[in-house]
Amino acid sequence: MAVDHAARLLVPVTQSVTLRPTVDYAIEQLLDRREGDAESAVHFVFVAPWRAGDPDATVDREQATDLLAQIETWAEYDLDSVDVDPEAVEITTAVIGEDDYLFSPADYVDLLSEYATQHELTNVVVDPEYSLTGQTTLLQPFEFELQQRDLTVEEAPVDRPTQRGRLLSRSSPVRFLTLFGVSFLFYQVLGGFSGLFDIVTGAATALIVALTLSSVSFYRDPTLQSSPRRLVRGVIYIPYLLYEIVVSNLVVARVILDPRVDIDPRLTKIQVYVGSGLPLTTLANSITLTPGTLTVTADDQELYVHSLVPFAREGLFDGSLERWVRFVFYGREAARFPTPRERGDTEVLQEATGVDATAQDGSVIADGGDESATANSSGERTVDDSDESATTDDTTDTEVTE
Amino acid sequence: MSIAETTLVAGYSVGDGLVLAAALFVTLAIAMLYRAIMGPTNQDRVLAVNVLGTNTVVILALLGAALDEPWFLDIALVYALLNFLMSIAISKFTVERGGVI
Amino acid sequence: MIATARIGLIGVCLALGLFFTLVSATGVIRLPDVFSRAHTASQADTLGAGFALAAVALTLGWDAATVKTVLLLVFIFVTNPTAAHAIARAAYEEGVEPWTTGDERR
Repeated sequence: MAVDHAARLLVPVTQSVTLRPTVDYAIEQLLDRREGDAESAVHFVFVAPWRAGDPDATVDREQATDLLAQIETWAEYDLDSVDVDPEAVEITTAVIGEDDYLFSPADYVDLLSEYATQHELTNVVVDPEYSLTGQTTLLQPFEFELQQRDLTVEEAPVDRPTQRGRLLSRSSPVRFLTLFGVSFLFYQVLGGFSGLFDIVTGAATALIVALTLSSVSFYRDPTLQSSPRRLVRGVIYIPYLLYEIVVSNLVVARVILDPRVDIDPRLTKIQVYVGSGLPLTTLANSITLTPGTLTVTADDQELYVHSLVPFAREGLFDGSLERWVRFVFYGREAARFPTPRERGDTEVLQEATGVDATAQDGSVIADGGDESATANSSGERTVDDSDESATTDDTTDTEVTE
Repeated sequence: MSIAETTLVAGYSVGDGLVLAAALFVTLAIAMLYRAIMGPTNQDRVLAVNVLGTNTVVILALLGAALDEPWFLDIALVYALLNFLMSIAISKFTVERGGVI
Repeated sequence: MIATARIGLIGVCLALGLFFTLVSATGVIRLPDVFSRAHTASQADTLGAGFALAAVALTLGWDAATVKTVLLLVFIFVTNPTAAHAIARAAYEEGVEPWTTGDERR
């Protein structure tokens, strides 16, 4: 390439708190390293976590386009403020990856490096708060993968604010009215629909609630088209959830009450694809409600789930709850989705420790699940090494001592 | 005549049955106090108190039905809210060390 | 006739409610670490409270108070797992290691 190697930058972007300084830094770098008339360019690329045709894809796409337009304005402003002819620097924005579901950092990097080759970009500036579909923990493997593909990677040295993302989003008339309506109805239900006094006080209370909270209560505007549908599908979901709760509660009740049955708790990690916000909350709460599994932390799409018995882990990795939540929020189409086990998105983070590690298998007998199936079928990423040899019924660990 | 006053056997009504159930719930709640006192970690205590709170809500509702005092349910509702807020607030406080609650 | 069935149903709900609350109490006292205890706190207890409140709703019959009972039930089903999650997460971020088979009892 005749082009000066440092003057062509690729910046993967997403909504983050440090986006503005990262754009600053990228432009600064570009101007610093520009030599003479060398053709310099910076590409801001948004990797789409959605797939074209997904429900809500248009809304997500609009947000991405808005973000890119904002970035372009920032970049032009930066160039302007140092008196550089905006014509001299090529600023390009793009949304890529709409045709694929992206699972691992490698998938992201494949896309990005392909893009880089196409546009002869050699350097990558990474926003330190950049996240793949919102998972902050994967930045390092991401950078590593980038370097594997002969790209020069640099993390923008910007100050990271320690606080989390703002809770506040915008308010809009639709949100305001919805919240007002819901809280007014709630008030009337509590008061038993009893006359004018309740209506007046209820309106006043609902007004206060809607004024103060309409900016934090919604992720996107509720619409007459999709919101009632979600509600109906949610109602369909409830009996299934209740059934699941009762069945697995009985299993867990057995484990807890029967002193001969040991528990076998593990922390597991599971990658889910339901979208953030309300769907994720619903899924995490459903997982917690179904006995034997407890969501410990939720890093956007990455759930750390504590499971009490192998039976519960099985159920979790089968992902029926995930499919149901996808059904509730995105309709029947979206529910056809590979299970976490098939995707290889499950990981058992702990092993039995201590001297009698083999005792764990003695516990499996009574709880309906079979552990060897977990280890074999949950893919290579499972680090659970259960050996089937031991049948020692050594129940010293969780025996009640009080 | 409400169903709570229907006589079951030997002069005991359904309401009495509910009071008995409430008494059993109280017994279980006292058993849970063990974990609230012993800990060992703060989270154990918060958890035990949270479970205790849910029990209290149930007891309030049962008594409300047994004694035919429906307004007990209002108190139960408020208690459930406070119970939830307590758990969230303490959890947030311990993680962020007195940051914004 | 209907009244008898209703009383029977109330009895069944109460018994189930008591049973699952017993499970939850046992779990909270017996299980080895805060994470396992959070399981019973969020699940067995939620179901126990659910059944007990169902008994209350049945006793009250078709009444404004029943609506409140149902609200209470929904509320408990939403908040209990959330609270358990918050507590478990607080424990996790405080650095409490989840107990596994073979660890010492805490």
